[in-house]
Amino acid sequence: MEISKDHVRILAKTIDLDIPEADLNAVALRLSGLLALMDEVEKDLGDEMDRVDPIPPVYPREEF
Amino acid sequence: MNDNELAYTSVTEQAALIRAKQISPLELVDLYLKRIEKWDSVLHAWITVCADRARRQAKQAEAEIMKGRYRGPLHGIPYGVKDQITTGDVPTTMASIIQPDFGEGMTATVVRKLEDAGAILIGKNNLHEFGKGSSVKFHYGEPKNPWNPAYEPSHSSTGSGVSIAAGLASASLGEDTGGSIRGPAWANGVVGTRPTFGRVSRYGGIMYAWTQDTIGPLTRTVADNALVLQTIAGHDPKDPLSSVRPVPNYANYFTPDLKGVKLALVQEMSIEQTLHPEVDAMLKSALAVLRSLGATVEQISLPRVKYAVPLQFLTSDPDVAAVFLRKWLRKHWDKFDVGTRTRIAAAALVPATIHARAMRARVLVRNEVLSAFGNYDALITLMNFVPPLKLQDSVEKIDSREDVTARMFKSRRICTYPFSIANVPALSVPSGFTIENVPMSIQIAAKPFDESMMYRVAHAYEQAAGWHLRHPDLEKTLAGAGSTGARTAGAQPWK
Repeated sequence: MEISKDHVRILAKTIDLDIPEADLNAVALRLSGLLALMDEVEKDLGDEMDRVDPIPPVYPREEF
Repeated sequence: MNDNELAYTSVTEQAALIRAKQISPLELVDLYLKRIEKWDSVLHAWITVCADRARRQAKQAEAEIMKGRYRGPLHGIPYGVKDQITTGDVPTTMASIIQPDFGEGMTATVVRKLEDAGAILIGKNNLHEFGKGSSVKFHYGEPKNPWNPAYEPSHSSTGSGVSIAAGLASASLGEDTGGSIRGPAWANGVVGTRPTFGRVSRYGGIMYAWTQDTIGPLTRTVADNALVLQTIAGHDPKDPLSSVRPVPNYANYFTPDLKGVKLALVQEMSIEQTLHPEVDAMLKSALAVLRSLGATVEQISLPRVKYAVPLQFLTSDPDVAAVFLRKWLRKHWDKFDVGTRTRIAAAALVPATIHARAMRARVLVRNEVLSAFGNYDALITLMNFVPPLKLQDSVEKIDSREDVTARMFKSRRICTYPFSIANVPALSVPSGFTIENVPMSIQIAAKPFDESMMYRVAHAYEQAAGWHLRHPDLEKTLAGAGSTGARTAGAQPWK
């Protein structure tokens, strides 16, 4: 999905963040890029992602 | 030994000289302070230098040693700390101009452990603002590569890498979320380790990627690196995610050869990519050295590591944004560097469902990396597919979708992020130089908590290859380099 400057403005409003006009495009480009890459991950791994728990890879007491 | 040679000697050699009372901690501290005064107006490796404090500690160390109370190999050794790690009365700026000190009087556990070992804090190292590798401007001066200041010194724990390579301290501590220790180690030709997550306490580090942040050492040799890591590692009640596992004596695992060691070259993080010819030649040479030591080196494919870069941006960056938003971003937008603020803002807008899906994908990528350790003792990769870039080419710009993709997938990230999101230990070790006299490195990774194997492979390679014996002659490499990219923030107190 292509995120526009208007999308960013609205999304930012939901978290009470006021992004100046001059920076809206850079934020929109960054977010669009991230979401597009996630689409690729979903296409490749989506089914498997449904079958694992999202456990953070931290293991203070885990044995290896 | 002249002053220049002493400045570049390893911690272990300096420790032997101190113990034998052939040099004093005060002489060593004064030597580094003199070099910092001479070179740091060009290199910008330091934000704060605590000269008086360091001299006081050096005198105390000297008195203790003279009375026979030698604490061990870090007693009297001067070190620096990335200015993202708190140090009590010495301010922690985060390379930001939002406030003069983010430390709130805290002392990081890693710093307390080094002080207990008798090491001497000489100052705080420069970094990319808030440790985010996206800074465009440097309020405290733009760090320069001491081997060739026309080339990048890499991102984030930059001053730590520069200061060790330039002989401005004996060791430094950096912070590595995606590659912020290993990157500056690569570009500056020193050894840098990202330890297993949980091996080292995070307490007192100002960093909020809670599933990935690690603190680790940058040093001139592998043995020094192992010594510093061993000192700062171990469980800390103040960090609930720190491991209760005992810390081995890593030096006990050093061997002159690698007979019986099974290594795997990860294709996606090396030969499967388009390699710069000098990097290609360096890799072939490094693999030949490893084989000559008796290791077997096979090739493996880990196809899912290609997702590590976006998955880190979609998981750890939102974790960081969740704290930055309330504490600083809403109130101080204009005081952030444009690269930092737009990166954090984009992360703050990632939907929770996407974050949760990305965390699930991280498990799959991690499992693929861990599965490799069922057959191999350590993994070998490049640290980058190209040598360090010219400074002007290393600055990020976000003017188009192509810029975003290029920025995100810059090849250093492809090489370091997979081991970060898998949270395994990984180390960058110098492996050669380009014709322009800039360093190149390979990376060695091991299974969780097997830093002993990682250091064993790195130490044997280093001793055979000998790149650690080469140091920049600053009189030549910095000749004609003016104080470009000088600091714009107010000078910090020199205590």
